[in-house]
Amino acid sequence: MSGGAMDAATAVVAARDVTRDYRTGGSLVRALRGVSITVPTGDFLAVTGPSGSGKSTLLHLLGGVDTPTAGEVVFQGRNLARMSADARAALRLQDVGLVFQRFHLLPMLTALENVELPLAAARVPRAERRERAAAILERVGLADRLRHRPGELSGGQCQRVAIARALANEPVLVLADEPTGELDRATSRRLLKLFQSLNAEGTTLVVATHDLELAAGAKRSIEVVDGRTAS
Amino acid sequence: MLALNSIREFRTRPLRTLLTLAGVAVTTAMLADMLMLGRGMTRSFGGLLESRGYELRLTPRGTLPFDTEATVPGFAALRDSVEMVAGVERVAPVLAASVIAEIGGNAAADGPERSTQALAFGMDPGDQSLYQLTAGETPGPGDILTDPEVGAALRAEPESSVRLRPARGGGAWGRRTTARISGTGRFIFASRGDLQVVMQLDDLQALSSQHDQVSFAMIRIREGYEPDSVRAAILASVDRVEIVTLAGVAERLTARLSYFRQIALILGTVSLFVATLLVGTLTAVSVSERLGLIAALRAIGLSRRRIVGGLTAESLVLCAVGGGIGVGLAVVVAVYLESILSDFPGLPLSVRFFVIRAESLITAFLLLIVSGVLAGLIPALNATRMEVAEVLHREAA
Repeated sequence: MSGGAMDAATAVVAARDVTRDYRTGGSLVRALRGVSITVPTGDFLAVTGPSGSGKSTLLHLLGGVDTPTAGEVVFQGRNLARMSADARAALRLQDVGLVFQRFHLLPMLTALENVELPLAAARVPRAERRERAAAILERVGLADRLRHRPGELSGGQCQRVAIARALANEPVLVLADEPTGELDRATSRRLLKLFQSLNAEGTTLVVATHDLELAAGAKRSIEVVDGRTAS
Repeated sequence: MLALNSIREFRTRPLRTLLTLAGVAVTTAMLADMLMLGRGMTRSFGGLLESRGYELRLTPRGTLPFDTEATVPGFAALRDSVEMVAGVERVAPVLAASVIAEIGGNAAADGPERSTQALAFGMDPGDQSLYQLTAGETPGPGDILTDPEVGAALRAEPESSVRLRPARGGGAWGRRTTARISGTGRFIFASRGDLQVVMQLDDLQALSSQHDQVSFAMIRIREGYEPDSVRAAILASVDRVEIVTLAGVAERLTARLSYFRQIALILGTVSLFVATLLVGTLTAVSVSERLGLIAALRAIGLSRRRIVGGLTAESLVLCAVGGGIGVGLAVVVAVYLESILSDFPGLPLSVRFFVIRAESLITAFLLLIVSGVLAGLIPALNATRMEVAEVLHREAA
């Protein structure tokens, strides 16, 4: 189901007729073509579709990482295209949690320090951020891995650290781009359970994935094909 | 925290880190040594002149002390005029002339004949402004005081008698005299290999047939008077000569040493440039290796400033550690080069090429830090200007 019909005023984020063009090697690539989607508070939305269909682009637009060529993205009533890059970065830091396929953890920092990073950027005092980071890591099941560096953790554990980092500033929206892309089946299932439990606790999630099992575990899903929503 | 990650990452690339540190250390050492070389000789020579306690030099026009064989004639009258100028406390004349000192020839009394050529200074009785007495006493009438090298060449000791004749113009029938060695001393302006003796001014004037002539004179001024004003007053009452302040001597010396200064400037600039390239290249490589991570951190919401700060901290640490090692290395290299260059002909032994000063070391260190950080800043700023979404797409592909 498309979220375009939902009331954008009560949504965490809403994309209205967004188009995104990229210029690569002199040719124009239209990654998204007039997509509209609304993500209400408490939603757990899976965005599926083949590689290159525009899933990641949609996620980047919803999170203010990128801006649309046409159309608008409204995040909690604010039009992201009208905000400066720095203002969007500040918004992402406070209100959006991002999870990447390749984790993107700082390799020489411990799990605890990696989760502290966005808290430090948000100028949370040292003692408080340490306490909060430890609590979040405990919440994702890594209480016994606080002092471990990414190189000492499994792929699933790294992704949990990345999720903990995304949750650090208590965002209103978590965007995960192919979070199970580098994980085995069993670990992917555990991650789905984690997402479901986070959603049950009130976290709004949008997950771009190829993983049909993960998509089936979401509250709802949309498919993006050739830059358009297909369901 | 980004900086912490960067610093910890040094340990994961020990060879690259060590090579960079070595490069930064060597360039810092070179820069510091060039700064010391550029300023060292002028400072050292200036200090040496000041240590004699005479603020002005009287010389034949267009020359500096020890510069030429030109002399000032009619010195007695000139001296009277100078001493009458307000502010002049003392005038110390010096006549320099080459002499040949001989000893021996009487096998029974003092062995086979030995001779050596030396530079003789004629000075007022008791005046020690060009030497330091190390044994015996200052030369009286008919005496000479030698440096240890002359004593060794002649195998003569204090109280020995030596025969003296002028090295030029004396000839076989030229004037000769016999002098008693009154003592030995260390000659302050002697360069390596110089043989020097001192005797009373009247004696040397007579021996070299340079009656009433001096090579130069040193003028001490009274307390409360400015060297420039006393100089102007002297010039108003005498002509035919040049009066130079110590600052003027140092200035002329600096002009003559511009060759060294230019070399120091060029090599110092090259060192700084190499260090900048080194740190800039390393940061650029480091940034390109972590482009995906940087894009992710930007996506998470970390500010440009924070990311640039983290990346620049890496350059700062490299420069600080490498520069610290380089400062120590600079001192070692300066001491070594000084030991080689102390044999440089024509310069007093007590003049040093490298004057090790905290100021030069700190300047080199700070220059390196500033240029290194600026070099690191450019790739760091470029990294934060990337299209975050595009890099994330590329990384995920």
